[in-house]
Amino acid sequence: MKDIWFKVLVPFFAVAILVGFSTGWAATITVGALNDMTGATSDVGKDYALGIAEAIHYVNDMGGINGKKIKLYQFDYGYRIPEALTKYNLFKRLKCVAILGWGTGDTEALAPTVARDKIPYVSASYSGHLCNPEKTPYNLFFSSDYSSQARGLITAWFDKKWPNHKDYGNRKPRIACCYMFASPFSSSAIKAAKDQANMLGFEIGPDQDVSLFAIDTKSQVLGLKEFKPDVLLHTNTVMSVAATLRDAYSLGLGADHIIVNWGYDENLPRLAGKAAEGAMGSAPWAFFGEDVPLMDKVVEYAKRYNPGIPMEKRTIHTVQAWASVLGLAEAMKRADKAGNLTGPGILKQGFESMKDLEIGLGLAPVSFTATDHRCQTVINVYEYRNGKFNALEKVDLKSRWPDKWANEWIGW
Amino acid sequence: MRKRSIIPTGFVVIVLGAFLFACATVPTPTEQNFKTPVVTLNSVELAHYWGWWYFSKKVQPTKGKAGDYGAPLDFAFIFDIENPNPYPVMMEHLKFTVAFEEFDLNTVSSMETQWVPAGKTNQVRVHAMFDGRQSLLSLLVTGGFKLKEKGMGVGAGGAFKQLEAWWVGAPEFSFPIYVKEGSAVFKADGLTSVVTFSGTFPQE
Repeated sequence: MKDIWFKVLVPFFAVAILVGFSTGWAATITVGALNDMTGATSDVGKDYALGIAEAIHYVNDMGGINGKKIKLYQFDYGYRIPEALTKYNLFKRLKCVAILGWGTGDTEALAPTVARDKIPYVSASYSGHLCNPEKTPYNLFFSSDYSSQARGLITAWFDKKWPNHKDYGNRKPRIACCYMFASPFSSSAIKAAKDQANMLGFEIGPDQDVSLFAIDTKSQVLGLKEFKPDVLLHTNTVMSVAATLRDAYSLGLGADHIIVNWGYDENLPRLAGKAAEGAMGSAPWAFFGEDVPLMDKVVEYAKRYNPGIPMEKRTIHTVQAWASVLGLAEAMKRADKAGNLTGPGILKQGFESMKDLEIGLGLAPVSFTATDHRCQTVINVYEYRNGKFNALEKVDLKSRWPDKWANEWIGW
Repeated sequence: MRKRSIIPTGFVVIVLGAFLFACATVPTPTEQNFKTPVVTLNSVELAHYWGWWYFSKKVQPTKGKAGDYGAPLDFAFIFDIENPNPYPVMMEHLKFTVAFEEFDLNTVSSMETQWVPAGKTNQVRVHAMFDGRQSLLSLLVTGGFKLKEKGMGVGAGGAFKQLEAWWVGAPEFSFPIYVKEGSAVFKADGLTSVVTFSGTFPQE
């Protein structure tokens, strides 16, 4: 009997207990997400945060990181920088291998720290100066940077719209920039924009200081009347861009509009109405629901995990979040496969091994190198017309100006 | 020798029998029998209150660093989590947006997992902090047009007027607080169910 007890029953119970607990023993990888769902950028930050969580569910359902599930720690920091720093320390205690960050404030405040700690930080701040690995080696994003977007938009307008203008061939095209001077986010692309405009032979008008909080921009629009711009570049967020479009329309300014990504989403036509007709903008990812690879999953997971939010309220920022998550997941898979799922491993064997990677979601092919973190060379330009965002042009800056792209334009 | 072996053998048989009985009587969650749990807003409390004030960074504080600071409001939202199933379910995540009148001001999450026993109702308390400064920026960047339509005025003046009305009226719940776009993720033995919920306090 003793033999039976030890040879049969003990192993039986041992196996039963092991099977019972096995689901709790599955390996997990912890990732932090810092989002703004209450603060100054919560109008777009909430949709981005929802997209982050939904995309992590998708990655886990698809097998996680080579069989390891991702455990997401997602926190709202209300765009308060001291709280971002506090949450970062929490992420370290939770042993997060990477962080999905948010805006210019947290990204710039944490850039030296993540470099020191060697923790990859995938942000939704696309400032050009985060693209130089010599200065910010652990900052990455899955988008074209603001400076490249501005260059692409100006080029697309110059190629597509200017030749149809009645004054084409008789004078230089005229451009002016509308942005909040005091905002590092709004002003980050202006130097590159003016460089591009000069290179293409534009006449550049007086900059207009448009607050991110503005809902009345008549004085700025009137300030441009004398210059008579053919096109205005906007680098603010949606509400103040919509206000400027409305005032330019009602005051008969007659200029076209080109808009960098944060001012160009599904809410622009809702706020600007008829004034949004013909507005061109940069959208590095497809708009929510557009017919591109993986959009079916984006919509499916939005419906599954946030069924209380009407689909018409979901925006391009969900798609944008998916790009960040899928890009990070791919980097982690590569590092894990190489047996080096650490910060440096995710950077070197992960991100910096990506060459012309097709993620889907309408995102142009992604490449990172050890000397260049501008992952996109192609700028997707859309035009809002007849109630829809329509793909208008893809401007490949690297192919068109290879020397300038390689030697002059990185990091600003 | 034989007599001595009867005791352990009997013990094993009883344990095995109990184990198998338990397995047979507790229903296993299936797609067919997994009933959707119910999440209901039970009440809202003003958990901590500091009144209404706002200091800009131009004001030198008695101690510490100057900055743009607004009074916080700490509301607690209490939900009933009802499990209609004959087996326990795990609530993995709960999330909802809070609106003061027609202005969405906060989206709150509870990431702590909790098990709800079969046929029972748990309660969960979720705190939502409203910071006067962040709420001001949120109103200015996203709510400018709405504030103007509401007749509160434009720019910072209109936003401050609205914030003061909310902060001063909060102890009496003088305006409706909406819980909207709520979702909670429940799991049972590999099955997942996502529940939607909403609510208003005070009830209209």
